[in-house]
Parts: sequence; structure tokens; C-alpha cells
Amino acid sequence: MSLSDAQTATRAGTGPDWDLLRRRGKSLLVHGVVLALVAIMLLPLVYMVMMSFKTSTEIAQDPLGLPDSLYWGNYMAALSSMGYVRSVLNSMGITISVIVVVVFAGAMAAYPLARLQNRISRLIVMVMALGLATPNFVTITPIYVIFRDLGLLDSYLGIVLAFAALKLPLAVFFYTSFIAAIPIELEEAARLDNCNNWQIFWHVIRPLLAPVTATLSLFVMIMVWNDFIYPLLLLTDKDKLTVMIAVYKFVGNTGIDPTKLFPAAVLGSLPLLIMFAVFQRKIMAGATAGAVK
Amino acid sequence: MRARYSLYWFTLPALAVIGLFFIHPIVLTFDMSLTSFKGIGEAKEVGWRNYERIFSRERYLREIWLTLWYTVIVVSALTVTGLFFAAMLHRLPLIRNFSRAALYTPAMMSFVVVGYVWQFLYSPLNGGINVALRDLGLGAFEQNWLGDPALALYSVAFTQIWMFTGFTCAIFLAGFAGIPEEIGEAGRLEGATSWQRFRYLELPLLGPSITVSVMLTTIGTLKTFELPFILTKGGPDGATRLLSIDIIDNLFGQYKFGFASALSIVMLVIVLGVAFLQNKVLRDRENAS
Repeated sequence: MSLSDAQTATRAGTGPDWDLLRRRGKSLLVHGVVLALVAIMLLPLVYMVMMSFKTSTEIAQDPLGLPDSLYWGNYMAALSSMGYVRSVLNSMGITISVIVVVVFAGAMAAYPLARLQNRISRLIVMVMALGLATPNFVTITPIYVIFRDLGLLDSYLGIVLAFAALKLPLAVFFYTSFIAAIPIELEEAARLDNCNNWQIFWHVIRPLLAPVTATLSLFVMIMVWNDFIYPLLLLTDKDKLTVMIAVYKFVGNTGIDPTKLFPAAVLGSLPLLIMFAVFQRKIMAGATAGAVK
Repeated sequence: MRARYSLYWFTLPALAVIGLFFIHPIVLTFDMSLTSFKGIGEAKEVGWRNYERIFSRERYLREIWLTLWYTVIVVSALTVTGLFFAAMLHRLPLIRNFSRAALYTPAMMSFVVVGYVWQFLYSPLNGGINVALRDLGLGAFEQNWLGDPALALYSVAFTQIWMFTGFTCAIFLAGFAGIPEEIGEAGRLEGATSWQRFRYLELPLLGPSITVSVMLTTIGTLKTFELPFILTKGGPDGATRLLSIDIIDNLFGQYKFGFASALSIVMLVIVLGVAFLQNKVLRDRENAS
């Protein structure tokens, strides 16, 4: 109990407790103001959804008003011509493949880095840090040329490897800090049983990695799903487009038509927003855990 | 000891992928930057001429400056907005988790979608912002947000700040959670106002969170490409032509692979230089205090 509470308690017998009422009122007001500010931050999203249900006349005549009725025509048009379902499947397939590569290669590479502190480990960690900091448009020119020479342009394999190289450093950092926290005694027991490195990694370390793998997968998914430059430049076959490129090709970049823009924006974001709603805790925890380390 | 070193075999798959599709490309970028390669045909060696061109033309120096200035605006604003929401929400446990998730939602969306939606919000005639201003009787404040060279960069920056406020807020909330309960309690007993507690008790303890937040948002913002690409294409009149926009334009607009590579190397050096400096300055300050 704090001092001010004690004071109000002694005064409580002498009529209405103005101090308490004042504090209650102030608290209510502060809650209201902060919630209003959060709501303002969400307005562009509300706007996006609202606009997607308006006909082109409604948009022209009453640009901010609510739609008269939920008009699904924009969505029908978008679904039938942007190749949405196909692009969602492409994005999912690419995402899952990238996750598999990144999780396996990342966890394996992290094991020695977490256990051996020497110059080799420091060098590898530095390369990974370089990878995290490098903007992907810096490497896109040579990747484009390499892919063209190897025949990897416009192939799923190519884009998966390019994404994997981009996201592996993050995976290595995630796993290294996680494995470093696993008590070494567990491994020593296995080593006494004559297990080799691989058996220790596979049977002792790997089963413990599930939580960090889940968080990492969510992050890789968000990044791969939303990435723009790599699929834009490395994929051209319209059957292989990812969701964001399908949105981009559908909406275009000049003379934008709102009846195309808004449903495509909603459809493009919907899968990840649903994911966010379901895995909100995990994603928020991962975002800050990754930041604190 | 031999057995210990054999552990490094485990790094082979990761190093192979990173070597082939990250290190090798960077080396190639540097090689290409010394040529006038046009994408096909022979790559002609031109020495350092591409770099000489970058550093002797005002246009490219301006783009470098613009990229840095843009980063300064976005990073400072994100630090302030994130701190503001975190300080408020830290005091309001009832709505903390909901608000944190709500603020984070824009960061889950792609730059492409955000760029499109804001392009429409900013449009001069029927755009959401100008119409809202008119409806509120503030028609005098209507602007050509993306079309006015004096405003465009700030409009793009505003969109990015909107997108990532939830991200910095989440980092700072984690920082607040690490401050011992007793410190706030002591401040309250001394009769400190909410602002005084924030300024003199909490803010000094948030140092590590601020370091992390500033470093992450700086790297992220220096990499900005998609937002100006969708919102303004670098216009009007080059007002939002960041280095990244010019790299992609040289590459896939004009097929000047050699010159685009030189710009890329300059970009890489800037990013690494800023990251290194920040790491040093911020960590030193943290250790000193």
C-alpha cells in the first residue's frame, strides 16, 4: 500500500472521496486518450478494408464515407484476374522450402559456433553479421547474372537458395544464442556413451530446438512473404509469381485504380494478418527476444 | 582437440549457401564495379572510373546525403514515438498487450501493400488525408503530399514511421519490463510526477533498449527501397531519389550493371560504416554510464 492510499483510507470516513474520484477520472481519461491514439494508428488499415468494399462511384463521390453495402465485386474481379490462389501456393511453397533449408543449415552451423569460442567462430559470426547488415539490392546484380548463367532464373530452386542465403545469418544468430544456453553436461553424458558429434547434435541438441525453430519459422515466413526485390527480378513466369508480385503486377505502378488496389492489398496481407492474430504472442516475444540479444 | 575442430564440418552447408549466394556475389559486385558491363557481351575494364563519376557528380552525392538524412529523420522519429507509446502503455497494464499488438500490425504488412495504400491516402484530390482535412474544416492544410518536392521525402518517411512505431514500442516495452518495480515505487513515494519518473528514473535505465532500437532501425532504414519505389519512384524532381532507387534504376532500367555495382559497393560501405560507428559510439556510451 502506498502512502497516498493510506491517506485516502483515513479520509474515507469523512464524506465523498474526492481524491479517489479524481484519480479514477484521470486514469479513465488517460486510458481513453491512449486508446484513441492507437485507434488513429490503425485508421489506414480500416481505410484499406473499407475502400475495398466500395464501388468506383462511391469512391469518387464520397471518398471517406462508409460503403452503402458490402460490395464484393472488387474482390471477384481481383480473384479472377490476379492469379491469387496460384500465387499464395507459390509463396507458401517457397516459404516452406526456405524454412527447411534455413532451419537445418542454420541449426547445424550454430552448434559449433555456440560450443567453440575461437578465431574461426568469430570470423564466421562476423560474416553472418555482414550478411544481416547488407541490403539485398547490393547483391542482386551479381545474383541475377549468376542465376542467368546457371539457368536458375525463373526457377523455384534459384529463389529458394537466394532467400536462404539472405535469411541464414538470422537463423545462425537465433540458434547460436539458444544452443549456448543448453547445459554442456547433457552432451558430455552422451559423449561418454560413445556418441559421435552428429549423434549428439541429432539426438541431444536437435530435440531441444523446437521453440526457437517455431519463432524463426514465423520470422522467415514474414520476410519471404513480404519480400519484393528478389521475386520481382528473379521470377518472370506468371505461374511462379509470389503474392506480393501478383499484387504489384495486378495494381501496376501508374494510373492506379482504387477498385483494384484495395482488394489486392487486403488479399495480399490477409494470410499474414491471420497468422499474426493466431501466433501474436510468439511473434511479439520473438521480435523483442531477437532485439534484446 | 582434433575432435573439437571437426565440429566445424557442421557449418559447411550454411557456409556453402552463404558463400555461393552472398560472399561470391559481393566479390562479383566489386569486380563488376570496375567495368562498364552492360549485362551482355564483354565487360570492359574501366578502373575506378565509375567511382570517380559517383564522387564527382553532385547528383550522386545528393543521393547519398538524402539516404542518410532520410535515415536520421525516420530513426529519431521512431525512437520518440516508440518511447512515447511504451511509456504510456507501461503505465496502463489493462490495455498494454492489446495496444502493443495493434501498433505492431502495420509492421507485419509488406512495403508494397503499405506503399499502395498510402499512395492513395496521399493523393491530392480524393486521397484520404486531404478529404479528412477538408471534412474537419482544415482545408487550408491540404497538400500535394507526394507531388511537392519540399514535402515528398517527409511524406515517405512518415509512412515508414507509421509502419514501424509498433516495432520500437515493443522493444522499449521489453526494456521497461526489465526495470525493477521498486524504482517506480520509490519515485511515486517521493511525489515525482509521471513525467519526472520517466525522465529521471526510467529513461536512464532504458539505455540498452535505445541502443538496440536505434541500431536495428538504422540498418533497416538505410536499406529502404520499396516505399519510395512504390510511392514516388524517386520523384518529384529527385526529391526522394535514394541511392537504392538509383541502383535498381541503373540496373533494370538502363542495364548499366557496372555502374550499378559501383553504387552498390558505395551503399555497402555506407551501411557497414554507419553500423560500425553506431555500435562503437552507443556501446561506449553505455559502458561509460
